[in-house]
Amino acid sequence: MSRCALFPMSMVLALAAACATPKPRVDLLSPSEAQTKLRAIQSRTFELPDRLTALRGVMAVLQDLGFVIERANEALGLVTGARFAEPNYFDVVAITVTVRPQDDGKFLVRVNAIYNNKPIDTPEVYQNFFAALERSLFVERG
Amino acid sequence: MLLAGCQSPSPQPFFQLAPEAAAHKAAQTRHFETKDADELLSASAAVLQDLGFHVEESVPELGFLRAAKERSAVQNGQLTARGFLMVLSLGRVLMPVDLQQQIVATLVARPTGTTGTRHEVRVLFHRVVWKGDGVVDRNYIAPGEQRMEMVRDPLVYQLFFAKLAKAVFLEAFTL
Repeated sequence: MSRCALFPMSMVLALAAACATPKPRVDLLSPSEAQTKLRAIQSRTFELPDRLTALRGVMAVLQDLGFVIERANEALGLVTGARFAEPNYFDVVAITVTVRPQDDGKFLVRVNAIYNNKPIDTPEVYQNFFAALERSLFVERG
Repeated sequence: MLLAGCQSPSPQPFFQLAPEAAAHKAAQTRHFETKDADELLSASAAVLQDLGFHVEESVPELGFLRAAKERSAVQNGQLTARGFLMVLSLGRVLMPVDLQQQIVATLVARPTGTTGTRHEVRVLFHRVVWKGDGVVDRNYIAPGEQRMEMVRDPLVYQLFFAKLAKAVFLEAFTL
């Protein structure tokens, strides 16, 4: 190795050591208290005949709200959608809805809404969504 | 405009049903007297193909289809306006014009009523338009500015349902 290359190489190594990525925190994947509270406002139970009805209601309400349905899976009870946060076209609102049967025959609907990369944690947003979903399911049954 | 861009709007309005939601839903939906949901869905895919879309996602159990197509969005009117503006500003302003668009169709077919002899098809068309690049007073405006709009022109939906009705040999009716 020539002496000319030695100095810049040692600088690069020093920089690399300084830029070493920090180790992830041990509790990175464990649920926090805020997460548990969020789960409560994101979930609601509905009394419905079957999962198909629930999923159809979810897809209808997403179409009503102007979301583009990206993925839907009947076997997993999963629907994903997204839309631009008009009139601002740089922000994206994405939503994931899962429908799972519970022991008492009712269905648990869990909604995960994200605004750009951050989860939405205002309860009113989820209340509005569930109100719209109830309307959609009621219309369906009638 | 910079200030408006700095402040992220709240996500609230996107989860509330607008008052026009019911009218839009009516324009996007048609009913068919048929028991065969799969045939309806398959015919819908064929109609979308006819219209130049390629189907990206399909889930037969839920009667769900998502298809997209890309087209040029260049409009002569915008090009003319850009030319005028460039001349009037003595070459300093070159405004970005619409360049490319992607039109996405989201379709859901499902049974309605209790007898199982009627199905409804709801289709949503929306388009995302990208602008090209431009220059304003030596400041370069990068390409890629985009906007999304729901297609609200009733003719587009009428055309789609007319084709679908022909494809399944049934009449498409609204409630």
